[in-house]
Amino acid sequence: MSLAARHLEANGIPTVLVGCARDIVEQCGVPRFVFNDFPLGNPCGKPHDDEIQRGIVEHALSLLESAGAPRTTLQTPYIWNDDDESWRARYSHISD
Amino acid sequence: MTTEFETTPDTSKRVYLSYIDRTRKHYLKQGFNNPYRWAHHSDSPFTALSKPLSESRLGLVTTAAEFDPTLGDQGPGAAYNNDAKFDRVYTRPSDTLPDLRISHIGYDRQNAQIDDLGAYFPLARLQESVAAGRIGELASRFYAVPTLRSQRLTSERDAPEILELMREDEVDVALLVAV
Repeated sequence: MSLAARHLEANGIPTVLVGCARDIVEQCGVPRFVFNDFPLGNPCGKPHDDEIQRGIVEHALSLLESAGAPRTTLQTPYIWNDDDESWRARYSHISD
Repeated sequence: MTTEFETTPDTSKRVYLSYIDRTRKHYLKQGFNNPYRWAHHSDSPFTALSKPLSESRLGLVTTAAEFDPTLGDQGPGAAYNNDAKFDRVYTRPSDTLPDLRISHIGYDRQNAQIDDLGAYFPLARLQESVAAGRIGELASRFYAVPTLRSQRLTSERDAPEILELMREDEVDVALLVAV
């Protein structure tokens, strides 16, 4: 998807990419990136949380307007689970 | 002596995880030793907005697939479903909510019971932004890009197709969602 953003941008269409995999997107290099630190699969917000989903869209629109240079990343303030950050450790983990 | 550092709650766990490293490790442990190489660029193009968003037409791009009952389990709890992949760019109208699924995309099922379209396809939220006057309008259709693990196909075939469709639709700005 990052490659598609680069192609559109290079041909005159401003883009913003919304996603959860910060390293993958930033390694590819996109003009504007809204980063949500959520488990992969939930780039636009938590399921059934309209408020966060609205907030993420607004962050994306704001970044379209405000970014002054390529490779601008905006990290949203949302946290997947206030009480439990263990999803990171568990993500795709295979025990020995 | 207790330093301020030691009494401050540990926030280091909030550093984002590296999906590249985690995915590589995951497959190495399963015996695959030829890890995928993600795209890498040291630069990026940039195009400034040519007019306010409130006067702009926005195009939405997704990697989600249209639900097809003949292609096996694509429900929220589905295991990775390679059969549900699509291999060409497609478009659908953006005035109604489609039934799009993400069972064909590789993410960790254990940490995601994703039973809400809004978590990966923000069309309803964008329609609200149009109603509120924040965006001029949406393109009459949205665009879907295949996830085929081929940087060549994405760059040389699919991205140019999306560009052509957006030019036909006179799209001013694009919002892309990477599931």
